[in-house]
Amino acid sequence: MWKTESIGSARVEDAVKQFLPPCQIRCPINEDIQRTNVLISLLPDDPDSAKEGIIQIGDYLYEKNPFFTVCGYICGLCENDCNYTTKGGAIKRRLLKRFLSDTFTPYLVQKKPLDVKKDKGKVAVIGAGPGGLMAAYELSKRGYTVTVFDSSNKLGGAARYIPKYRLPEQVMDAVVDNLVRIAGIDVKLGVKVGEGGLDLQQLRDDGYKAFFVATGTPYARPLTFGTAEVEGQELDGVMYGLTLLWEVNQGNIPADYYKGKKVIVIGGGNVAFDVARTARRLGGDVTIVCLEIMDKASKDAIPADEEELVGAREEGLTIITSRGVRGITKVDGKLKLDCPLCTSVFDERGFNPQIECADCIDLEGDVILPTIGQMTDRDFLQNEALLNEVGRLQADPLTLQSKVEDVFVGGDVRRIGFLADAMGEGVEAAESIDRYLSGIDLKRGRVKECEPYDAPYRRAYRDEPKHKWVPADRRINFDMFEEGFTLEEAIEEGRRCITCGPCISCKACVSVGIQDDLPVVEVNEDLCSGCRMCVYVCNYEAAQVKEVDGKIVSWTDDLKCKSCGMCVAACPSGARQLVGDKTEGRIKEIYAAL
Amino acid sequence: MSDFEPKLVCFSCNFGWGYLTGGNGLNSQIKNWIPVACSGKIDTTHILDAFKAGADGVLILGCPEGDCHFQDGNFEAKKRVYLLHKLLEDYGIEKDRLKIELSVDPEGKRITQVVKEMGESIGKLGPVKKI
Repeated sequence: MWKTESIGSARVEDAVKQFLPPCQIRCPINEDIQRTNVLISLLPDDPDSAKEGIIQIGDYLYEKNPFFTVCGYICGLCENDCNYTTKGGAIKRRLLKRFLSDTFTPYLVQKKPLDVKKDKGKVAVIGAGPGGLMAAYELSKRGYTVTVFDSSNKLGGAARYIPKYRLPEQVMDAVVDNLVRIAGIDVKLGVKVGEGGLDLQQLRDDGYKAFFVATGTPYARPLTFGTAEVEGQELDGVMYGLTLLWEVNQGNIPADYYKGKKVIVIGGGNVAFDVARTARRLGGDVTIVCLEIMDKASKDAIPADEEELVGAREEGLTIITSRGVRGITKVDGKLKLDCPLCTSVFDERGFNPQIECADCIDLEGDVILPTIGQMTDRDFLQNEALLNEVGRLQADPLTLQSKVEDVFVGGDVRRIGFLADAMGEGVEAAESIDRYLSGIDLKRGRVKECEPYDAPYRRAYRDEPKHKWVPADRRINFDMFEEGFTLEEAIEEGRRCITCGPCISCKACVSVGIQDDLPVVEVNEDLCSGCRMCVYVCNYEAAQVKEVDGKIVSWTDDLKCKSCGMCVAACPSGARQLVGDKTEGRIKEIYAAL
Repeated sequence: MSDFEPKLVCFSCNFGWGYLTGGNGLNSQIKNWIPVACSGKIDTTHILDAFKAGADGVLILGCPEGDCHFQDGNFEAKKRVYLLHKLLEDYGIEKDRLKIELSVDPEGKRITQVVKEMGESIGKLGPVKKI
């Protein structure tokens, strides 16, 4: 007699094609955005009573995303794809999570550790940034004993460069400190793998069975002009912006460090703006100079977010566009930048700045902070034989497996992205490592095709709430300048979410008992007259018509249907019914007893 | 007339009324309570059948304008009530016997009051005319 086993290719696979709201498709963690938006909208309006609900929602989010409180300050990728953007403004998901964080962050220290037996063996994660920590968390949940190595003195990786006026230190500390406690992750700070004889082979000898390399991009990119490094970067007064951000967050920079000084930041990205607005908060008179132009619709648009541009201008920063930096010299105790005009940044060959040397201006400053990008620790990657013949880090884009079979790579070290992108790769790497160590095929069932749903129709859409920023003259400090939502505002914003996604990806209402179940709509084709009243009344395009033997009849797209019953009520022929709905029975009972 | 206890049927939308009461919901607070997922689900026939079965009044509790979880359900319910008012008057059933209230009351604090007030106004009208 055969024996059926659910291992290897005989395992049932996850659905590979599904519908989701566009926000969840965009989220690298596929957070249950719709479900938790609805749950937030159902919170009581009394702050004390709401606490319990907030903790429940937070615990639910934590399961997939232990960094969600941090996301509430610095993410919001989902908002870029929100269907409401064209109808009044994206749902402010980031602020909703920040609202949850207000209650959840203090609660984190009480959150109980995972109840998991760690008997699947040792895995080492190199790099304790968001990518590495997510991989460590996911592997711990599956029963692996994980050790995270990081060369710095703090957990958090690149997130520790984020200025405190955008991400408060205690939010970050609460997340990483409690994560390692809750997941039982072993942490080795101040240990650089690749130095002092400690390499991956040594770790293999110590019993580690697989590795996730998430070492990020810890080094600042030096200024280059054409192919040569710009002269003068070693002069006193020139410091990489990245270093400033790190030192400020470590508490090593006094409050008035740049008072009375003219500071020039070179670079047009979000990090350059972090550096520039940090320098401003240290008392400096700050100018930003970059290759790009202001026009956001252009191919050469300045990469920094609109919010950064507005904030910077409000804080008194000057932004000079279309300028490259050809050289730095010291003249009469000041640093002089030689800035020719840049007429184009990108072309068919990619980043290929075109410079007009005849049109050149001089910029003068006391401090120069080049912030034009970051680089990986190539030596480490090289020594571990992870680079291919053309010197690139080799990694399968789906499985994240490197050239070396037990080594997986992800996050900024593989491809520079957002914090959430690195986290997503940590999750994928954990899955890959689990499959690798279990002898399961790494690729099967992992390509997911997700199609986004459109927004349902409604008669009146509502505008997004305006942002609440402290006035610019009161921002010259490292406190948060953006105010978050009050409970009332959070409930209202949660209500504004129009739940674009299918019920199967949500189930918020069922989870709190508002609906017992989601009854299916059935159409009696004999009674249906093809009048299309149901199509008119359904806001979700679930009720549609088709032709059957020359007759027009209606049908219901189950995946789009929300089981609200509006089409059933609107049908003049009584051709529709909600199968299994208890309401009809209850009505009969009550009327009979009247 | 003073002994007349009006029979009121109350439909309420779960997304707007009483979702924080938990468990048995509003059963203990209102007689003849019918919870629905959306006020837009309440059919015209449900309302007419209520009067036919002997209800003296029908109260519909839906969500505020612009706040329907299912987008426009409360608008559909409001339309239905408006049209039914005209129809019912022709049959000699007073407008005040069918009421729709669009508001949000997660803890159901106001429901007893709303039901009581309607009961009082129906009480003045007396029992419903048989149709």
